[in-house]
Amino acid sequence: MGIPDLTYQRPASLAEACALGRRLGSAAAYLAGGTELIPDFQRGVEPARTLIALDAIGELRGISVRDGVLRIGALATVAEVADSTLVRARLPAFADAARAIGSPPIRSLATVGGNFCRAVPCADLPPAAIVAGVRLRLVGLESERELDAVGFFIGPRQTVLEPGELLAELLVPAQPPRSGASYQRFARRAGAALAVAAVAARVVLDADGRIAGARIALGAVAPVPLLVPRAASLLEGEAPSEALFARAAAECAERALPVSDVRGSDTFRRELVGVLARRALAEAHRRAAEAGR
Amino acid sequence: MSAERIVRLTVNGESHTLAVTANTTLLAALRHHLDLTGTKRGCGTGDCGACTVLLDGAPAAACLVLAAAADGKRITTVEGLAQGGDLHPLQKAFVKHGALQCGFCTSGALMSAKALVDRNPQPSRAEIREALAGNLCRCATYERMLRAVEGWKAFEGVPLDARAFDEHERDQRRDHAVVGHGVPRYDAPDKVTGRARYTADFRLPGMLFGKILGSPVAHGILRRVNAARARAVPGVVAVITGADVPDGWYGVSPAREDEQILAKDRVRYVGDEIAAVAAVDEETAERALALIEVEIEELPAVFDPDAAMADGAPLIHPEHPRYARNVNTKVDWHFGDVAKGLAEADHVRRERFVGNRPYQTPMEPHAALARWEHHGERLTIWSATQTPHYLHRSLSRLLGVPMGNIRVIRPAVGGGFGCKAEATPLDFCAAILARVTGRPVMMEYSREEMFRHFRGRHKQYIELAIGVKRDGTITAVDQKVVLDGGAYTSYGVITAYYAGAMLPTLYKIPNYRYDGTRVYTNLPASGAFRGHGVPQPRFAFESLLDMIAEDLGLDPFEVRLKNAMEPNTRTCNALDISSCEFTQTLLEARDASGWRDKKGKLPRGKGIGVGCGGFVSGAGFPIYRSDFPHSNAVIRVHEDGTAVSLHIAASEIGQGSDTVLVQIAAEALGVPYEWVWLVECDTVLSPLDLGSYSSRVTLMGGHAVRAAAEQVVAQLRAVAAEELGCEVASLVVRDGRIFEGARPERGLEWAQAARLAFARKGPVVGTGSYRPPRNLGGDFKGGTVGTSPAYSFSTAVAEVSVDLETGYVTVERVTDFSDAGTVINPVTFHGQVEGAIVMGLGETLLEDTVVGAGGRFANANLHDYLIPTICDAPEIRTSAVESYEPRGPFGAKEIGEGSLLPVLGAIANAIYDACGVRVTELPITPEKILEGLARPGVSPPASGAALEPAGGTRP
Repeated sequence: MGIPDLTYQRPASLAEACALGRRLGSAAAYLAGGTELIPDFQRGVEPARTLIALDAIGELRGISVRDGVLRIGALATVAEVADSTLVRARLPAFADAARAIGSPPIRSLATVGGNFCRAVPCADLPPAAIVAGVRLRLVGLESERELDAVGFFIGPRQTVLEPGELLAELLVPAQPPRSGASYQRFARRAGAALAVAAVAARVVLDADGRIAGARIALGAVAPVPLLVPRAASLLEGEAPSEALFARAAAECAERALPVSDVRGSDTFRRELVGVLARRALAEAHRRAAEAGR
Repeated sequence: MSAERIVRLTVNGESHTLAVTANTTLLAALRHHLDLTGTKRGCGTGDCGACTVLLDGAPAAACLVLAAAADGKRITTVEGLAQGGDLHPLQKAFVKHGALQCGFCTSGALMSAKALVDRNPQPSRAEIREALAGNLCRCATYERMLRAVEGWKAFEGVPLDARAFDEHERDQRRDHAVVGHGVPRYDAPDKVTGRARYTADFRLPGMLFGKILGSPVAHGILRRVNAARARAVPGVVAVITGADVPDGWYGVSPAREDEQILAKDRVRYVGDEIAAVAAVDEETAERALALIEVEIEELPAVFDPDAAMADGAPLIHPEHPRYARNVNTKVDWHFGDVAKGLAEADHVRRERFVGNRPYQTPMEPHAALARWEHHGERLTIWSATQTPHYLHRSLSRLLGVPMGNIRVIRPAVGGGFGCKAEATPLDFCAAILARVTGRPVMMEYSREEMFRHFRGRHKQYIELAIGVKRDGTITAVDQKVVLDGGAYTSYGVITAYYAGAMLPTLYKIPNYRYDGTRVYTNLPASGAFRGHGVPQPRFAFESLLDMIAEDLGLDPFEVRLKNAMEPNTRTCNALDISSCEFTQTLLEARDASGWRDKKGKLPRGKGIGVGCGGFVSGAGFPIYRSDFPHSNAVIRVHEDGTAVSLHIAASEIGQGSDTVLVQIAAEALGVPYEWVWLVECDTVLSPLDLGSYSSRVTLMGGHAVRAAAEQVVAQLRAVAAEELGCEVASLVVRDGRIFEGARPERGLEWAQAARLAFARKGPVVGTGSYRPPRNLGGDFKGGTVGTSPAYSFSTAVAEVSVDLETGYVTVERVTDFSDAGTVINPVTFHGQVEGAIVMGLGETLLEDTVVGAGGRFANANLHDYLIPTICDAPEIRTSAVESYEPRGPFGAKEIGEGSLLPVLGAIANAIYDACGVRVTELPITPEKILEGLARPGVSPPASGAALEPAGGTRP
């Protein structure tokens, strides 16, 4: 199918964009990179008939550090994140996740905001953001709120955003000392493929090299990116070891809520979660140990 | 229609102001508003990369960008790469390295490469892979792209010529001036600049756009079609339904014409054509389709051969009593005595194999453009077809118009691999809609519609038994194959025969039984796909041969060498093998791959495996009974003698046939390669050629071209002999001169001889034709299938690593040796083999169309149906062994299809070697490998594997 008849709006300010969004509700969709939205139109699954293009709103762009917080504008492209020295220095696992998305002609268009707001279960950025404690700044017509990335998702293609509310930026707190993170994903081919399963993990070590804290989030294996606190609590206070990581990984596999589809069966996905979680923890631990040196 | 808005784009340095609607993509703006058709549409969903352009310097998928959103931006397309008439060094590198075949992905790949080298002038292979990961190339010319991008700087400031770039690519020594040299592809300069026009790139005045409505259900009686609301849509010019099209049935095989242009009373699969609309644009046509009311009485449907043959199963073609139990084709062959052969065997092993249903997935969607001319009596059709002649004939028969009143033009074709080897509903509907509207009509499939039309590989269920002596000598082979045919025959009769016919060409099989059954199901029809019918039986055979070798404690090479076909042999099924260097391919592949150092000596998770294959060099008989020669050519010498025109209706679809034919013409004429103009494939300009299928063009078209050239040369030699006062027989023609062999200084310039000839007798023209030997094949039913003047042979060794925790397989290296006779062009030869290896890899590991609810393919798009990317392509070494085919032009035979066949078995055997899991069902997915690893008796993964990186993750 082709793209249906559309009305195209290009608000100059955030306030204007919010007002339009609130007025039009589900009859409108915000347009950023379009890499999800345009195919959704082609597939006939996007009901909106008005597009609110965000590209004129400069304040949604850019990657910067202010007051120790890394701020990634919703309109920052996935390519910008993947290549950003700021991101790579502070949150390499997040840059890895960005680099895993699509291919260069997609990454240069796709935006961080789109990766969150389209809320596709196999999106790569959310799990990596969640383990890093990223907070999202949402802006509405008369409101502004901040929430943890994990709380943003309600279900496949569903988020907490109210009509007229926009994701403005990601706020990445400074990562704790002696911490490291990893993003591991499995796809059916080596180039440009969607994740069948993905795991992001962050490990924080104490001065003795024990695990002071951990966060593990799963992608593509549940309706929303899934934080697995029970797996994390298995790790806390323990001395890192392969066996320990394997126990935590098994817990992750247990907690996953995968579906069967053309990319893989639920059983296979669950198995992948176990493997990827173990690998993610091992890499996160290695990075944490290096950071502590 | 949406309101238009004004956008300003700076495209290739020129600023344009366009009025576009909000739903106009940048791709459509470039192609339709600015006529920059070098940027291609391969999917429309950002999955294929064919539309990659630079947007403010960054690579971007133009199909995902709305023109409105590109307002004020700088865009560079492939047309903007060349500066001041000089190609960009990257373009030259692509030409010289042979980094393109069908060319449909080329502009996108070039733009991705441009973006890369702009910021990183000396990229590593890994960086190139990452940069081009999104540019799917189904010809899989990846290895050559890597070389071209790696070496692009060498072409800075270097003028482009037509000389071979790398003579090291020659594996054979031949004393020819043009043949055997890796000259750049004839079509390369047009394809790297975006000049080459594919069917969908054409625009004619007054042109309309057509779309077809497909059945929403898999099986049903069509009760009523009401198009009144569709006709009322502003912009709709015509709607046709089954009532508006001729009553005739069509099909590839004259014995099984079972398709109608539009359904008249029954639909048999999801997508079966019901109605077609012509409108002022595609969007309007699509809107109208949605308004056509269709009433269908749904019938029970069957989606696999067992269900289709079961008692009480619904009949899919009840109009023909011959299709009882939905059996479309039945083959029952028995050569020698299989019972006796199996009884004489020391070891018999029987296994069941299940194939997959891959789709050819050419990057260019099917398209057809039709126009009636000369007071509506004559039809011209431009079509993305591999077989202009069969299309020509089908149109004539169905439309009731003499072939003389139909002109078929085949523009550049962006790959076919078999799915464009027959007339499509697009061809028929475009022709009929153009007639009823009096305007040209363009029709194009979307990516999803391509999957729906299908004609991909038959899914085969194979029971195979091989009996051998203790030393591995084969005593008998018993093969039973059930083929899932889908709702129509397409090439299926031939497929069912090919699935049995080709096994005995590779190994000497004294006793052979083949029981083949092709069954109708309510799925899109399967058809001919590279290696036609053979890859799955060959996968089964090569897998089973390895199992038997292991049972007997023999090396896989030993058992193959023991049984390898020899030259000048008649097979048990009466196929005449002429030249055959199969043994040489085995020996060289074994040595070059380091087999002896690796087999059984690699760490767990790493494996090596061998597979073999071979194919016909053109079918011995045409698809319908005909006494006409199969290939025909005309060569005309230009009046001043500085060029020749080659008229041949063969079909370049990416395989390099134009280049090979031009080389043969130049060689046989004794002129440089650059002198030959190849006339576009047009049935008004060129005589009959059966087209590009069954790997026939090099041998058959090559013969016709050579014969035509020889007629020209005879005329020039006569003139030269007269002029020089010597015997005709003493003259040699080479490199643009005609001279006495004994005294080379005594001679004429070729051009001068041509001018003299023209002055004396008018146009200098030569004609040539080729027909295969008439006595091919056995005198039994189906004995014509598998016949050919010559056969190719090849051996591939695959080296894989298997992630024992995820089951992910990485094919690291493939070493292939082929017997293709004389290689006419080493660059296109290597390109074909490399591409076949990568396609074979996809077929083995990744590809399968999944039947979803109600018989609809669940992965009819390029992000769920995954074909290999440049990141998946292994390191490949390909070589041609020394070989000469007496029945081929200059000793040549086929390469394009046969080289796919060894790959499946080689990878499957390597996976077994790596992890002890024998997967007998394609594709070999990670899931199946994990299931195998979990089975008792298969040892668990070594603990050291635990921290290896995840399969499929990018480096």
